[in-house]
Order: sequence, then C-alpha cells, then structure tokens
Amino acid sequence: MLHPWAVLHTLSSIVLVFALAMAAPLLLSASMDDGARFAFEGGMLLAAVAGAALRYATRGVRRELGARDGFLLVAAGWTMLPAFAAVPLLLYFPDLPFEKAYFEAVSGLTTTGATVLVGLDALPPSINLWRCQLQWMGGMGIIVLAVAILPLLGVGGAQVVRAETPGPMKDNKLTPRIAETAKGLWTVYALITLACIVAMKLAGMSWLDAIMHAFTTMSLGGLSSHDASFLYWNSTTIEFVTIVFMLLAGMNFATHFLAMRDRSLRVYWSDPEAPPFIGVLIASVLIVSVFLWWRGTYPEWGEALRYSAFNVISIATTTGYANTDYGLWPVFAPMWMLILSCFVTCSGSTGAGIKMVRARLMAQQALREMRRSLHPQAVLPIRLGGRVIENNVIFAVLAFMLVYGMSVTVVTMTLTATGLDFVTAFSAAIACINNMGPGLNEIGPAGNYAMLTPFQTWVCAATMLLGRLEMFTLIIVLTPGFWRT
Amino acid sequence: MGRFATVLNLLSVVVVIFAVAMFLPLGVSLTLEDGAEGAYDLAILATALAGCVGWVTTRGGRRELQPRDGFLFVVLVWSVLPGFAAVPLLAYLPGLKFTDAYFETMSALTATGATVLSGLDALPPSINVWRCMLQWIGGMGIIVLAVAVLPLLGVGGRQLLKAETPGPMKEQQLTPRIAQTAKGLWLVYVLLTVLCGVAYAWAGMDLLDAMMHAFTTVALGGFSSHDASFAHWNSPLIEGTAVAFMLAAGISFGTHFLALRRVSLRPYRLDAEARAFVGVCAGSFALVVGYLFLHGAHDDFSTVARYSLFNVVSVATTTGYSTTDYAAWPVFAPLWMLMLSTFSTCSGSAGGGIKMMRAQLMFQQTLREMMRIVHPRALIPVKLGGQVVENTIIFAILAYMLVYGATLTLITMLLTATGLDFMTAFSAAAACVNNLGPGLGEVGPASTYAILDDFQTWICTLAMLLGRLELMTVFVLLTPAFWRR
Repeated sequence: MLHPWAVLHTLSSIVLVFALAMAAPLLLSASMDDGARFAFEGGMLLAAVAGAALRYATRGVRRELGARDGFLLVAAGWTMLPAFAAVPLLLYFPDLPFEKAYFEAVSGLTTTGATVLVGLDALPPSINLWRCQLQWMGGMGIIVLAVAILPLLGVGGAQVVRAETPGPMKDNKLTPRIAETAKGLWTVYALITLACIVAMKLAGMSWLDAIMHAFTTMSLGGLSSHDASFLYWNSTTIEFVTIVFMLLAGMNFATHFLAMRDRSLRVYWSDPEAPPFIGVLIASVLIVSVFLWWRGTYPEWGEALRYSAFNVISIATTTGYANTDYGLWPVFAPMWMLILSCFVTCSGSTGAGIKMVRARLMAQQALREMRRSLHPQAVLPIRLGGRVIENNVIFAVLAFMLVYGMSVTVVTMTLTATGLDFVTAFSAAIACINNMGPGLNEIGPAGNYAMLTPFQTWVCAATMLLGRLEMFTLIIVLTPGFWRT
Repeated sequence: MGRFATVLNLLSVVVVIFAVAMFLPLGVSLTLEDGAEGAYDLAILATALAGCVGWVTTRGGRRELQPRDGFLFVVLVWSVLPGFAAVPLLAYLPGLKFTDAYFETMSALTATGATVLSGLDALPPSINVWRCMLQWIGGMGIIVLAVAVLPLLGVGGRQLLKAETPGPMKEQQLTPRIAQTAKGLWLVYVLLTVLCGVAYAWAGMDLLDAMMHAFTTVALGGFSSHDASFAHWNSPLIEGTAVAFMLAAGISFGTHFLALRRVSLRPYRLDAEARAFVGVCAGSFALVVGYLFLHGAHDDFSTVARYSLFNVVSVATTTGYSTTDYAAWPVFAPLWMLMLSTFSTCSGSAGGGIKMMRAQLMFQQTLREMMRIVHPRALIPVKLGGQVVENTIIFAILAYMLVYGATLTLITMLLTATGLDFMTAFSAAAACVNNLGPGLGEVGPASTYAILDDFQTWICTLAMLLGRLELMTVFVLLTPAFWRR
C-alpha cells in the first residue's frame, strides 16, 4: 500500500527543517552585511510557507509510513529540496536560469560538487556557506539513507549493511528504526566535522573557510569557496589534514560509531570494507605518482607524490577537490582516478558509486563462476566478513551493476548526441553518477559545468540524483508497477 | 605433461590439418604466379613437421577428453595456430615483425578484422586469400566453439544453448558430440559462404574478390583485399548484398540449420534472439540515419541512408567493413555503433561481444530485481523463448558481464598508460574484445593498428583472444584450482 499523503506530511516537516537551516547563511549574511540577506530571507520565507501549507493540507492523515512509501519519500525528498535550496541562488543571481540553480542545489544536496558558478571568491560568503552547508546536510541525509533506509528497502543488495547498523533493529516500523539509527550516526558525523573544522583552522584556514571546507570534506562533496579549490592555499599541511578527513568520511559511519562506543580501533580492521578501501587508495596513489614521475609530469617523485596523493584521494572518495589541473596529466592518471571513484568508498559513508562492498561481492561472484565451471556440482557460498551472503543479495547487487552500467552508457550517449565530445560526455556521466564533481576536458578541474546546454544540465542533474539514490530508488518510482496497489 | 598429453595430441592433429589448409593460397599463388609461393612452401613444411612431431611425442597418453581439458585445448588452439598462420606473412614480408604478424593472424582467426598491414591492394593475391581464409577457418572454429564446446564447458551461461544444439546429445563423451554438431553447422556455414560468393560475383566483384569477401563476410571478420574496404567498389548493389549476408551470418547457425532441415522459416520466427538482433539493427539504422541527416554528415538523404545502413550493420555485427570513414561522423554515431557491437550478434554466430541472448537475459534480470524490490516475496522466473532460465545460468551470465566490464576497463587503462589517447584506447579495447576490428581515433576505419607499439600490439592481441574465447575460458586457466588435480 502506498500512502502518498503520509509521505507528503513527512516531507512537510523536512521542508520546515530546511527553512530553519537557511538561518545559518542568513545570520552570516546579516552579521557580515554581504548583501545577500534578502536572498535568504526570501528563500526562508518560501520554504517556511510551503512547508506550513503542506503540513496544514495533510493534517490528520495517517502518519505511519510503510516500506514502499520509503521509495516515494526518498525520491520526492531529493528532487524537491533542491528546488527550495535553489531559491536563494535564484534571488541573488537574477540572471541565473532555473536549471542551473537547480543543478547547483542538486549537486550540493547529493554531495556531488559539480558547479555552474564561476568567480566563487567574489561571491558573498553567505552564498558560499549555503552551498557548502547544503552538502553537509546532504551528507546527513545520505548516511541515514545508506545505513537505515536503503537496507530496509532492499535496494541493490544494501541488505548486507543491515546487520551492522547500530541500535535496536527489531521494530518493523520504518520511522522509529530510522530515527534511532540516525541519532547515533549524526552524532558521529557532527563530532568528526567539529574535529575537521578545528584541524583545518589549525592547519591555516580562516574560521569561515575551515567551516565551509569541513562541511564539504565530511560530506565528500567537494564544493569550495575558491575557484582554485585547494590550490588557493597551496599548503601541504592543509592538504594532509584534508586527506585524513576525506579518508575518514569515506568509511562507514556505523563503523565509526562502533569504534567510538567500544573505544577501540579493532572494528576498522574487521570491517569488510575499510581495509580494502585504504589499501586500494595507497596502491593507487603510489601507481599514479610513479606514473607521473616516469612520464616527467613532475621531475621529482616527492612532488608527484604530493599531487597524486591529494587528487587521487579527492577523486577516488568522490570528493572532487583539486590542487592542480589534473586534467592536464597524461590521460591514464585522471582516467584511473575516475575509475576509482566508481567503487572505492565504503557503504554507509557519504561517498557514492558502486561502493566497496558491492565491488568485493562482485569480484567474489566472478571467481565463484570460474570455479563453478571447473566443478559444476560444487556448492560455493560467497562470504563477506565471515558471513555467508545469500543469493538474492548477490542478484540484487548484480542488478545494481547492470543498471549502473546502462545508466553510464545512456547518459554518455545522450550527452554525445547533444554535441559534447566523448571524453567530456563520458567523464561527466561518471562524475555525476558517482557524485564526484569535476570530470575531464571541458568540465575538468579547470573548467566547470556552466558550458552545458539547458538540456545537458538537466541530464546531469538527473544523473546525480540517480547515482545518489542508488539507481533503483528513483527508477522504481517511475515504474507503473510501483503505483499499482 | 602426462595429464595434458591428450590435449597436445589433439592439438597436433589440428596443426596438421591447418597445414593442409595452406594448400589453397599455395594453389592461388601458383596459378597467378604472384611470387609468394615460397612463403607457403616453407609454412606448410614447418607446420606439418611441427604437427607430426607433436603427434608422435604425445601419442602415448591418448584417452578420452574431459570437459576440463577443453579449456586448455581451446586456448591452445587459438594461441598456437596464429603462430603457424603467421609464417607465410613473415616469410613473404621480411620487414614484418613477429609481433605484428601474430597480431594479424590472431585478428584473422578470431574473426576480428583489425589489421596492421596497409597497401593491401599491392599485396600478392594469395596473401590476401590466406588472410581472408584464416577468418573463414576461424569462423568455423568459432561456431563450433559457441554451439558445442562452450556450452559443455559451462562458460558464461552458455549451457543455455545446450538444448538448442542440433544432433543427438545423449552421449556424455566430448568428442563424438562435438563432431556431430560440427558437421551440421559447417554444412550450413559452407552453404551460406557459397551463396555469398555467388551473390558477390553476380553483384560485380571479380571471382577472387568474391571468394575472399564471402569468406570474411560469413565469418563476420571484416578483412578485405582493399585498403578502401567496400568503398573500393562504391556500388550500392555490392553493399546491399554484403548487408544481407552480414545479417544472415549474425544469426545463430543452429537456427539456420533447423530452418534448412525443416525447410521452413519458422525457426527464425521462434528464435527470440534473431528477432531482437534484426530489430536492434533496424532501430539503430533508423536512429543513425536520422541523427546524421540532422547533422548534415552527408549531402543528401539517400547517401546518408546508404552509408548508415552499411556501416551500422557492419560494425554492429562485429564485421568491421566500411564504406566511408565513419569515425569522421559526429561522435554519437560511431559510439552508438561501437556499443551495438558489444551485444548485437546472436550466440551461435561467428560474431563477438556479449551476444544478444545474454543481453536479453540481463535486461530481464534487471526488471526482475525491480519487481522484487516492490514485491519482495514474489517468485519471478526469467524466461527466454518460453523456457524458464535457471538461476545458475543467470549467475554465470552476470559473472561474465562483470569480467567483460573489468577486462574492457583494464585493457583501456593499459593502453592509455602506454600513451594512447582515451578515445583510441577505449575503442581499440572494445573493438578487440568484441572481435570487431576497426576502432575510432587513431585506429579508426581510415587507419590501421600499425601505429601501436609492440606492447600495445600484444595487449590488443590478448584482448582479441580473450573476447573470442568468452573471457572465462582463458581466465579459468589462471586459477590455481584448474591446475590442481
């Protein structure tokens, strides 16, 4: 059974909370007198009125949500909120077309980090804060989505994460279970963000920059208040601090939760994803640094290591910061980074893409079939972290991979059909579906998405949503079978 | 050694037969006095000698072949024969490196059609006959491989075809079963080749060209005796003939066999794969025509239609002929064609790639998972042609898809790491793994693979072999479990 009214009712609360969130940039704007105050006042008013009206219209409806309503809530939430988030941008930039503002807001809330704005340094601080804050809030949403909602919905094999979620999981109702999980995870998220702010400030950022970049680091978003991204500081200390926090944010927040609760680092070691996540990244940084040194991009290996460490980890974790125009590197390096962004981050992190857990299951499935062709009668279970993984989870993961592959292909073909070159189109598809941000060529780290046509902008915005909602959540809602009772 | 004596013994027999095949180009050479006869004398001698020595030394260990031996046998056949096939090329073209000669013959025997040779028109006819004939022989091997061998080995869900193979299937022994199937399919294959040759001659080719192009059309290979490929004739009639026979050769030869035996067209209508294959080709033709016409790629509509029809069908069926430099078209069109080559052809044909059957099953599997998310308890069988497909087969196909994607990525990365641009590297990887032939960029239809360095040439050679043996066959050999008793 579908309860669209109950979904709308829940949405109205989210919109109201969202209106409240605009108080932060509004206060900043008022205190700094940066001239964007009216934009946030307008945005807040609109969100508050819309939220209140929706709440009034849906008063008295059944409040309890079923599993299927979860799809609708998630899909509607992630498509509606960007529209509200875009309002301050639209008010402040009267020339900004709606699709570009919506793109920017989607890029924020999906923690992608692709931008259509240039001249970031000259923008009012409050506008930049809003962009970065959107990513941080998006990150909150994603963690709960990944750890509490998608496993319940059984999307793309996310069930494997289920057993590892903290908190009591016996209740079959959606809301209390999610609330319980959310509380624990958000505490962890907020704590690490606080640590990140302090560390960035100590490393040499201003307080405001430290807050904004802590927001976009922890959400693996990658928006920055500077056009030059991290090249603005050109500081190895800041880069190192950022690397550490990107790595933390790339791990499962439930694992962080357990580590804090048990005051022990052992959970990281027994986590099925964290060790390969770190291992793949270290290996890739070394490979890329040696490659760049060998190709003579950087005459000194130390320099090559610095740039490859920051950019590889930034791209692989789907953050999207840059401290150099890696689009100019020999194409193997950025392509390798792009591929990493497809699968490296852990489930339950703010990263996107296929996720390490699925990648591991897939590798095991491929090996299993090779063994099976040698021993057709053998029973070969797939194990992860000591647990046997059921076949229906494998099926779901495989279906996820297929849809992922098809989506990348379709988006790439659509973008080339509308006139982009192959590398731009392909990298845009990958960068958007992995919620990573910058692509290559025209949309590379030195360029941005402003050159896209309105149609292409919509395609990319839809791709970001698709990737963020793990394909199925969005696609399911568009199938007729979903609406049939 | 003892365990593999049987395999090596059988391989020796194949090598001796292969030596006999060289009498055809020798005959052509003697008749036309083209000056290449010495090359064949040497090659026949070397091949026959090697075969005989191999047979004598391994004679003792003969026993019935086990399915597991099949993996080794198939890989050995497809990696050893190109070595012998390269001898005439090496003998006649003294400047040719072994790397390039092996690439050329691998490309031929896998029915790929990628070439490192240019100035084909100036080569002795017998050399061209040899190249084209290799593709035809390769095609024979591929069809038996696809319909009889791989299903027995259970590679990539091929078991599904077991039921559809003609001939009695009751004996459990490998050799008679394959022999029985082979006889029927080869008959059809030869018949189609003769028809194709006659049609080409009637459409205006000279006899020698008709024979060579019939060889490479029916094998979906794509070698030509002219640098300009089919642009050499610039004749709509010849192009139309080629399109008809490429489409026919893209359909499963098992279906052709049934149609012939029953003297009825019904088997085609019942073959879901054939219907989808023709449908996809027709749909893509319409799409590409519309797109190119819109972008003004050629002057008038009939030219656009003529070029699209030929090149789309040629690339989609993994043949690789061309009538124009389609790489110069707006990039969407050649990319679309490249994408078609990955899955269009039917599973019992000489075409490469994923195959339509797998693509259909994957599509259904994806739909099934979406249904399952909405209705977690529903039992939804995957069906093909009214037959329920077992989960083990779906698993095998999914594993194949994963390995396919991983292989494509890995080969692209290796080629970019060694200096190719992304478009060239990606298209070369796809063109080789799909056994298509020409790629885009530097290895496009107007160019050849001669620009690759030695390492890249070997990578592409390996890619062709991997693609042709459906990946798993080769990768199984790399698992320790294979070598354990």
